[in-house]
Amino acid sequence: MGEVASNPEKNDRKFALPVDSEHKATEFRLFSVATPHMRAFHLSWISFFACFVSTFAAPPLIPIIRDNLNLTATDIGNAGIAAVSGAVFARVAMGTACDLFGPRLASSSLILLTAPAVFLSAIANSPAAFLMVRFFTGFSLATFVSTQFWMSSMFSPTVVGTANGLSGGWGNLGGGATQLIMPLVFSLIHSSIGSTKFTAWRIAFFIPALFQTLSAYAIFFLGQDMPDGNYVRLEKSGEKHKDNFSQVFYHAITNYRGWILALTYGYCFGVELTIDNIIAQYFYDRFDVNLHTAGIIAASFGLANLFSRPGGGMLSDFVARRFGMRGRLWTLWVVQMVGGLLCLLLGKIGSLSGSVAVMLVFSVFVQAACGLTFGVVPFVSRRSLGVISGMTGGGGNVGAVLTQVIFFRGSRYSTEEGISLMGVMIMCCTLVIMLIYFPQWGGLFCGPRKGVTEEDYYLSEWSAAEKEQGFHKMSMKFSENSRRERGRKGAAAPVQSDPPTIV
Amino acid sequence: MKFLLLQVSLLLFLLKTTNGEVLFSSLPRSLVVVASAMEGQVLKAGEDGITVSVGLNQTVTNQTNESFKKVKVKLCYAPVSQVDRKWRKTHDNLKTDRTCQYTIYDRPYDGKVEGFKWDIEKDVPTATYFVRSYVYNDANEEIAYGQTTNDKKSDNLFVIQGISGRHMSIDIASVCFSVFALLSLVGFFVIEKRQSKVKS
Repeated sequence: MGEVASNPEKNDRKFALPVDSEHKATEFRLFSVATPHMRAFHLSWISFFACFVSTFAAPPLIPIIRDNLNLTATDIGNAGIAAVSGAVFARVAMGTACDLFGPRLASSSLILLTAPAVFLSAIANSPAAFLMVRFFTGFSLATFVSTQFWMSSMFSPTVVGTANGLSGGWGNLGGGATQLIMPLVFSLIHSSIGSTKFTAWRIAFFIPALFQTLSAYAIFFLGQDMPDGNYVRLEKSGEKHKDNFSQVFYHAITNYRGWILALTYGYCFGVELTIDNIIAQYFYDRFDVNLHTAGIIAASFGLANLFSRPGGGMLSDFVARRFGMRGRLWTLWVVQMVGGLLCLLLGKIGSLSGSVAVMLVFSVFVQAACGLTFGVVPFVSRRSLGVISGMTGGGGNVGAVLTQVIFFRGSRYSTEEGISLMGVMIMCCTLVIMLIYFPQWGGLFCGPRKGVTEEDYYLSEWSAAEKEQGFHKMSMKFSENSRRERGRKGAAAPVQSDPPTIV
Repeated sequence: MKFLLLQVSLLLFLLKTTNGEVLFSSLPRSLVVVASAMEGQVLKAGEDGITVSVGLNQTVTNQTNESFKKVKVKLCYAPVSQVDRKWRKTHDNLKTDRTCQYTIYDRPYDGKVEGFKWDIEKDVPTATYFVRSYVYNDANEEIAYGQTTNDKKSDNLFVIQGISGRHMSIDIASVCFSVFALLSLVGFFVIEKRQSKVKS
């Protein structure tokens, strides 16, 4: 009963990368585009990058747009909040869609659904229209979830942190790159084609819109959901059971670890989004730099994602080799705490060069914390991986909305006070990581419970009836592959032999 | 934020005697500015024009127009268009003042300015305005001003209607591409459905 019947045809299939029993790659080769693993990686980070470029395409052009549409500071602030709030629920929905339809269809659909919002930004004519297009464009940030889900489906636990960190980080890069791309495109159109300013910004929006649309096509035609094929085919052949939505959803929302990670992600990624929205203004107002310089400083915060978020993911995988899941949790806790401390410090520094220096170090820590978070997420649930990823991702956006509403709206706090207080809030909210406990691996302060195995944890998501029908096969394989999360000590400990067969 | 403003204005007050920092409140209203735009009139950017004339204010007695070297006439935001818009804020320090962002006329001082016609450029946004003129000395510092409105900036204001920037071609292109994206989505679903039927 315990052994999964292996299909001989499947085992003959050759993959370009070494794979585990689920055919997930156990190595990560950045410069390869081999199907299906590395191709999935490149498709996912590029499309996510495109969505970030679209979502934050407006901020660098605000000086032009605010005059064209007669926006007030309140209008601009509200649009900024709208841009990140749409994704809160979209991310949870996307998680569900990934679990049910697969990341390929889910992400290409969302990208195509939100592309019209970017195209129609070109014809926005009022503050209300501006808010609407930013709101709907922001939904595209839910592709983050499909990115993480896809990486978790393609890459083995040993490299999943790295894969998640790189795809997430390089996607986030779009938020920094857009601060350089959009002004460049705008000035090209303004000077070369000779359009007036109020026309040039509109035409400029077609660039991110077209890029986004093309990436959806690429995902649909070039990508596949899992190493063995697309959901559609796998479901037909019976290799993959088409899961039940309410069960998937139930097992996600009843897993407290998902909620804790949603909260903590709000205080690394949410903070990152908030900073993306306010940092240019901060340097402009407090240190009297010109808008161009402020834009470059703002861009450099986002561009640190090139290495800092992936670094977090890689660090997670690295510590896991020796210390397993406990190592992943400790590193996340420490890095995010330090990030909070640096944020507190950032608001207190009065010199320009000091501020830029602290901001850069702060960006590394806060983005690394994002990468570290998604080194833990793939292990919270196997059945409901998508919804858990969605909840965590959505929590990130909730954090962004909350911090902007509490600290950066109106005149209650000066921007520097807001930044310091945000640092305090980061540290407070990071404390809850202490409450995460995996019975098979342990938590921050407690070791694993004796006799509990990975199978016990992952198979508890399936009912006896479902197990009888063999729906839990993938969770079985995953349990085996995740044994490394015990760390070196745990690996030495006797692995419990196959559970007594239940007939 | 309020505290920061207080600090800034205190700082400016202290800098009053520092050279290079010209404060608006220190300027005499030595000029009379007349613009063709009437109270409440709505002008269109890219279509209409404003005719301005600048002369000396006869009521201001002690002034030496020998030091007037350059004259500029600017288009300035009325208070109603500055509300909740920090980038158009009025500061007493003219280096940081953002009230007047568009220059209508900029020539060396040559006595009066008679009936200069300015076509409203296409990048002038929709807002309520008045017209102000500054004269500069050799060091390119403002030494006097005049404006079409009163001190409170509540009188004789006019409106300019900016262009939308939209063109028929942009409207059509964005709608067409949007429809294309949505149709592609439908196409994707059709292809997926077909694949699930084909695979037995």
